[in-house]
Amino acid sequence: MNNKKTQFAIEANSLHVDIKNAPILRNLSFQVAEGEIYALLGGNGAGKSTTLKTLLGFNQPSSGKVFIAGQEVYSALDFIRRKTAYLPESATLYPHLSAYENVQYFLSLADIKKSEDELNQAFQRVSLQESAWHRQLQTYSKGMRQKTAIALALLREAPIFLLDEPTSGLDPVAIDEFNQLVRELASSGASILMVTHDVYGACQVADRIGLLRNGELVGEYDAPENGRIDTEQVHAAFAQRKAL
Amino acid sequence: MTYLLKQLGREWRFMLRQRYVLILLLCSFLVSGFAVFTGLAEVAQQQQTIERLKLADAKDRLEAQAKYNDPGSLAYYSFHLTYSEPSNLAFAALGERDVYPWKHRVRMLALEGQIYESDSQNAELAQAGKIDFVFVISALAPLFIILLFHDLIASERSSGRHDLLVSTAKSKYALWGSRGIVRFVAVVLCLMVPFYLGAMISSTGFLTTLLVSIWCIAYLAFWTVLSLWLGKKLASAPRIASILIACWVLLAFVLPILSDLLINHSVHSAKGGDILLTQRETVNDAWDLPVSTTMDAFAATHPQYADYSYQGEGFDWGWYYAFQQVGDQASTDMSNDYRAAAAKKYTLAGYATLLSPPLLLQRKINRLANTDALAAFEYEQDIRDFHKALRMAYYPWLFGQKKFDKTQLTSLPQFEDSTHNYKKVQNEQ
Repeated sequence: MNNKKTQFAIEANSLHVDIKNAPILRNLSFQVAEGEIYALLGGNGAGKSTTLKTLLGFNQPSSGKVFIAGQEVYSALDFIRRKTAYLPESATLYPHLSAYENVQYFLSLADIKKSEDELNQAFQRVSLQESAWHRQLQTYSKGMRQKTAIALALLREAPIFLLDEPTSGLDPVAIDEFNQLVRELASSGASILMVTHDVYGACQVADRIGLLRNGELVGEYDAPENGRIDTEQVHAAFAQRKAL
Repeated sequence: MTYLLKQLGREWRFMLRQRYVLILLLCSFLVSGFAVFTGLAEVAQQQQTIERLKLADAKDRLEAQAKYNDPGSLAYYSFHLTYSEPSNLAFAALGERDVYPWKHRVRMLALEGQIYESDSQNAELAQAGKIDFVFVISALAPLFIILLFHDLIASERSSGRHDLLVSTAKSKYALWGSRGIVRFVAVVLCLMVPFYLGAMISSTGFLTTLLVSIWCIAYLAFWTVLSLWLGKKLASAPRIASILIACWVLLAFVLPILSDLLINHSVHSAKGGDILLTQRETVNDAWDLPVSTTMDAFAATHPQYADYSYQGEGFDWGWYYAFQQVGDQASTDMSNDYRAAAAKKYTLAGYATLLSPPLLLQRKINRLANTDALAAFEYEQDIRDFHKALRMAYYPWLFGQKKFDKTQLTSLPQFEDSTHNYKKVQNEQ
């Protein structure tokens, strides 16, 4: 059986995922190209986090396949995890460790060696104030913890980023900085899949948006050349869900 | 190899930053240290008692030998110390030494009563038991293991870190494997280091120390694997902890108590008190029976003295020691039943250990330490052998076959403790 595909950085083909016999994802197919920012948009319970967990190999699809960097996820979990940097929704790092120690710990887990300068640069890049770098995370705000997790994701230098509600807890300025950062990553060739329920945020940053409803992809929206996706159009489609 | 060491080093440093883990490790070290300390103190006290008794015993016997000139009085007033010295592993496993006596001063009188006298003396004291090292490992250490390992994965799930950790780790062995190994090594060190110090202090042999280590580490690994396996299967830490604690209570307390009740219910025998009573009643009754009744019963087992003639109407040492002997003979069957029942209980308890790892560990280490029921039976047999040798030495003098000469007292048999590797001869006379 050939488990290799090379066309897209991320690819889901006719994906069905059941959890405790309840169908969560139904016939989900989408692709994320190299250097593309793809936002999977949906309300609560639409299946966004399940999609990410399936891409990370935590959920076994009942049918269909998912590929990361050309490899079928379940045939090469260690490879997949080396190729991806995952940012969870609520970035709960270790509260008794400092940002520095947290990042060092997680990088060591991934067997990645980074110098102190590289760590400093990553913290600066996510605008985490220097005075906080060596403070325990239990003294941090939610946004500061999120920035620490983003710094960790950057330091992984993975070609694929899987972001779960990445701007959750960030203030507007930090959101703008984050969006800028994501665009820089994409322009350097990284593929980014973010799941979010923030229509405005998704339209600001994504090259493409997939609208997820009850586990099904009900629409896709492409950004025009050198432009942004029309927020009103996506919002109208998203709001239909409420009416259903 | 370098990669593995790097992973272990990281997790070791990480563990040292977790306060609750450090507190648990400290507790396990203190409990183990306390058990070893009290074990060493108890063994030292037993050794001191034996040494003190040896001196007193020799002094008393010399006084009796100076005071009396006939073999009957000498046999009556001379006590002989018998003892079972604690082995050099006894500090870790005091075993049955608080249930079965380890010292007796015996005389030439009927023996069975002297052996079982203590059965009715220390039963209540024995109920409390002692917190020795093997108790800490078998009964308390599983609790430390459960607390350290039940939420190794579940706590990361509940705090939302699990997916980030797993998706970041180079492999799941780099994460859970090294984290598990580090905690296991830490708790094993905290529990075993006090034992190794105790072993050094009491000069325990290398092989014995190694065997104890293997048993203990295998036992701790059993609880660790059980905790990790359940922790992997279930998501809720309180549920995992509840199930593991239920297993612990079942294996460490309920099953041993049930098996003990079942064994005692199914194996019956006379009690030590019954043997004591039978022997004493026989001896007391002999005063009122015709002399020939006693002497015939004695001659039946000692035909070489069948032609001994009773010396007149009054008191006669030969007759007196003959009815002591007959008293023992009257209780022989009961005593044999008692010992057979005790041996059967020991065998059945061995089967029960197959259902209870804590019991199995205790049994194995108590055997190594020679502090189990088998060691107590051996000691009882040593007393019987010694008493027999003593009788065989005195009987020719008492029953007139050999002329008594006080200088011959130096050739009296000496008690030899054969219950452990150090065979020591009591030879202070």
